[in-house]
Amino acid sequence: MGRFIARRLLLLIPILFGVVTVTFIIMYVIPGDPVLSLVGERYDEETLDRLRGELGLDRPLALRYIDYLGRVARFDFGRSFVTGRPVLDTIQERFPRTLALAGAAMLIAVAGGLAAGAVAGSGRVPWVGKGLMALTLVGVSIPVFWLGLLLIHLFAIKLEILPPSGYGGGSIRYLILPALTLSFASMATVARVTRAGFLEAGSEDFVRTARAKGLGERAVMGKHVFRNALIPVVTIVGTDFGSYLGGSVLTESIFGWPGLGRLIVQSILRRDFPVIQGAVLFMAILFVLVNLIVDISYGFIDPRIRGEGAKE
Amino acid sequence: MIRRLLSIAVSLISALLIVSCGGGEVSPVLRLALQTEPTNLDPALAVDYSSGWVSSLIHSNVVRFEPDGSIAPDLARSWSVSADGLEYVFHVTGGMFSDGRPVTAIDVERSLTRLVDPSTASPRWWVLEPVAGASDFHAGRSGGCSIKARDDSTLVIRLGSPASHFLSLLAMPAAGIVSPAAADSLGRDYGRTPTGSGPWRLVSWTSGDEIVLERNPFSCEAAAGIPGINIRLIPESMTRIAEFEVGNLDILEIPPAELELWRSAGVRLLRSQELRIVYIGLNTEKAPFDDPRVRRALNMAVDIDLVIGRLLFGAAERATGVVPAGLRGSPLPGPLYRYDPEGAVRLLEEAGYPDGFTMEIWQRENPESGRILESMQGFLARAGIEVKLVTREWSAFKQAVDMGTPDAFYLDWFADYPEAGNFLVPLFHSESRGGGGNRAGFSDAAVDSILDAASAVSDPAARWELYAEAEGRVLEAAPWIFLWFPVRYEVVSHRLEGYEIPVIFNGQRFTGVSLR
Repeated sequence: MGRFIARRLLLLIPILFGVVTVTFIIMYVIPGDPVLSLVGERYDEETLDRLRGELGLDRPLALRYIDYLGRVARFDFGRSFVTGRPVLDTIQERFPRTLALAGAAMLIAVAGGLAAGAVAGSGRVPWVGKGLMALTLVGVSIPVFWLGLLLIHLFAIKLEILPPSGYGGGSIRYLILPALTLSFASMATVARVTRAGFLEAGSEDFVRTARAKGLGERAVMGKHVFRNALIPVVTIVGTDFGSYLGGSVLTESIFGWPGLGRLIVQSILRRDFPVIQGAVLFMAILFVLVNLIVDISYGFIDPRIRGEGAKE
Repeated sequence: MIRRLLSIAVSLISALLIVSCGGGEVSPVLRLALQTEPTNLDPALAVDYSSGWVSSLIHSNVVRFEPDGSIAPDLARSWSVSADGLEYVFHVTGGMFSDGRPVTAIDVERSLTRLVDPSTASPRWWVLEPVAGASDFHAGRSGGCSIKARDDSTLVIRLGSPASHFLSLLAMPAAGIVSPAAADSLGRDYGRTPTGSGPWRLVSWTSGDEIVLERNPFSCEAAAGIPGINIRLIPESMTRIAEFEVGNLDILEIPPAELELWRSAGVRLLRSQELRIVYIGLNTEKAPFDDPRVRRALNMAVDIDLVIGRLLFGAAERATGVVPAGLRGSPLPGPLYRYDPEGAVRLLEEAGYPDGFTMEIWQRENPESGRILESMQGFLARAGIEVKLVTREWSAFKQAVDMGTPDAFYLDWFADYPEAGNFLVPLFHSESRGGGGNRAGFSDAAVDSILDAASAVSDPAARWELYAEAEGRVLEAAPWIFLWFPVRYEVVSHRLEGYEIPVIFNGQRFTGVSLR
């Protein structure tokens, strides 16, 4: 296991190198000049040149690339072209909020999805199961934007029990609606996959054996069926969580949630290269780490996978 | 197991509902919302609307705009102008920075000099371009310009040539007075933690979420009224509307499509003609748009009144001139170009395009402009002109337009200061071509010389005569498809009193408003 983790962590280096290089190239290939977003509606060439000089944009591309690699290696992501703030400060400020939103959304998705999937998959109350599955179909196909506005209308305007938007200094009241909105698609997927897992595992030989040797239904479901149904769920949760950590632009925009997603989109629109590069790199690291954790967790759920890892 | 999962889900939801109840007390502060977050509150570096707007609440200027656009004393309690219009003497007294230090004429000198100083690299240094020696100083050819404090309370500014709009320039956000001590010690971080002498001071700025201002305890300007302002940063207009509906905002701008709904809702609706013009610029340096007949034909081919009625729900006034009604010395002229598709076709034939042509109109990403341009596409198709719409996001759009790439582009211009010259000079003087504002590349020696002459005239009526002449020539030459002046609608909460929509965006500093 230790060697497996070390190898995966080492693999981070070429991945990050690739991410840095690709984002750097994309930044300079797409049209749009960063200094133009700094000068407003009216400007002269002299001002543009001065700003280019100040930001180091007048130097040859290759030189800037090498320079950037060197600084990234020292964890220096530079300052935003637009606000002049250190990129790392901005990411440090935004990331905890994105983490809170992603964490809360995942919690709701897993709790709700597993419960719904288990109810539907165990087949004990057929009509409830069918109803839940129909709901999940709505869940995966509903546009986030519409759902968000619907929830605002219901909980904030009609029922008046939750604030429509904002961060509220970290208060949980402000987290609920965006987290619920963000969780919906994942919750539906988790429910459907859990149900499928339950149905599949339920017809496996080992379940029949367990029943035959006289195990109670509760133990059969809990120990054998549930555990086996969990593996694909962990994969989904890991992938979704990894992408939520990069910020969820739509949810953040509707609810005015000050996370990473909005920061990145704003930076792209303003061609704020240092922030884009820093944020993309940060997301890449997170994504790789979350996937690593998912891979490791397989081993705990299913010992056979752990065995394969050890053989490596 | 299933039961356990269900009970976890149920307890989670009930926990959420428990924490969700609560709150509901009425806030004593003014609550506003901005669509985009300011980037920098340093007056010298604030270029976007939000930055300039918030910066103006925190910094005072030598003189300032009233909500109606007129000039009022700010740090300078009085001033005098020499007979030749070149020397301005300001008497600076009574201002206090939010750190408790008094504002002296020396602070004002240092702050304004900092704006021009090449090492500040301010994109807005041109605000002080009329000052004698400013251009040389900015270009690094000299060590300063003609802004001098004679003593602690007297500031003398000499201009290179008379500029009738100079006081308006001094009232722009870029000419806000910073505490030189704070600006020197903070450097680039000043834009995040400004120290001004305006009516409000910054308490906190949670990026992407909220900016909190409180009364500057040392300024006497904000003594009455409200203790502070909370500015929420909410990108989505539907969300801002929801926040207003639940009573979390005191002022809300209404998009035209929502107007009917609010009119019938019994709220307090305010209306204001914006100092802004919306147009389709035609690239006059490129065939076939270098032919004035073609440009006139395009103006005749589109039914602008219909678009205003159907797509803007009447929230605009047709631009039959280029200077908005609020800045004119005479009423808007009648339309020079009437909707006349057959006439447009005849004019195109005369210009040598009997079969029409194909053209591109560029726009920035924006659903509203998409609908408007699709209607234009339809009108122009009837005149035999095939229009391809090209959408780019802002910085790519701006780069292409400033380089003269597109045939035509959909854009607007709003006043930095309320003067007719702030429309005509940047938009149509040949020296402003490209990034200076004249993006149609329009060039007419007669217009140039009229505009040059007008800026030296100090009598407003005589100046307007010249501006009106220049405007007439521009309308005749048709470097644009002239569209409309938008009307702005805002709803305000029932507890807000004394608020009016400012004519110029930094003309409302909320010192005269109160909450019931």
